[in-house]
Amino acid sequence: MEIKSSENASFQRVYKEVFPVLMRVAYHVTYNLDVSEDIVQESFIRFYEKNIDFVSVDEAKYWLIRVTKNLAINVVKRKSREKAMVDKIKKVPKTPVQNGEDALMNTETREMVRSAVEKLPEKLKSVLILKEYADLNYKQIGVILHISESNVKVRVHRARKMMETMLDRGEMHVS
Amino acid sequence: MCLDDQILNTYLDGELVEPWKTQVEEHLKYCTACSSRFRQLQAVHEMVCSSRLSDEKIDAAQEKILAFMENKYLHKEKKVKFLHRDFTMKTPTIIGIAAAFVLIFIGAFTIQSPSLNDSNVLIPQVVDTQSGNVTQVSSIDSLTTDQILSNLSLEEILSYLDSKGFEVDLKVKSVNPIGESTD
Repeated sequence: MEIKSSENASFQRVYKEVFPVLMRVAYHVTYNLDVSEDIVQESFIRFYEKNIDFVSVDEAKYWLIRVTKNLAINVVKRKSREKAMVDKIKKVPKTPVQNGEDALMNTETREMVRSAVEKLPEKLKSVLILKEYADLNYKQIGVILHISESNVKVRVHRARKMMETMLDRGEMHVS
Repeated sequence: MCLDDQILNTYLDGELVEPWKTQVEEHLKYCTACSSRFRQLQAVHEMVCSSRLSDEKIDAAQEKILAFMENKYLHKEKKVKFLHRDFTMKTPTIIGIAAAFVLIFIGAFTIQSPSLNDSNVLIPQVVDTQSGNVTQVSSIDSLTTDQILSNLSLEEILSYLDSKGFEVDLKVKSVNPIGESTD
């Protein structure tokens, strides 16, 4: 199924299928819902305006994920240069408490995971986010990041290792 | 430990291919150290996954941004297309109208010009000899019957003079019914 990014039917199809993934990628890089919305919107605007032909929905998806990931990383880099803005990012999106009795534990876990993900070096962070939040396999992640499948495997392993260490420390601090 | 973390992680992600996959499965069945390590890795994976952005938040953003995209891009594109169609229809129309005007002008002149020539014939040529006197210098010998003034009806003469721009004021001074006396 060929995809023309400026064609309405193609666009709608890709949008419906890829939006949740893009939103998760943008969110887990920036951890700010508003900023993520802007980033994903910008990605779709570029997708539409560039008028690119893709051989399949998946190809379009990989392109969009790559663009979204790069935009999000750039936002984080820019924000970290502006100290004040960093504080704003961190304060704004304290994810609202969810319903249910384990709500408090849930937010605690979320906060812990979030601060651990934020501390990962960029290379490992991208791979981990694409693996855990975008539900992609090693091969797909390799295509998106222009790295080999075995390289993805190694990075997933290293990222999880770092995460484990940080989360363990986090749990110790909490309890 | 018999299996390293990388293999376990690969197995966890469902990316381990045969025959290693079966081998790992077999090993995990009896090796408690490896299976407990596997459960730890699984717990980390689940913990990270559980903090993912919720579907409700994604749905809300999805609708919002789609509405924006439709307004600004998808529908706008249609409008541009309509404009294009308008223009392609308008251009010939304008040319058509212009052509019609040109035709009317040319037509008006070509239709009028023979009657202009006729006037020399139909209207008796008038030449000033002295002030106050007019002399009719026209011969009817060489003319066809419809060009002779006396053969034309009053209406024909009037409409002809009217078309030439003469203002004709025609009055009936007296009408005498047949058989009645005038006094």
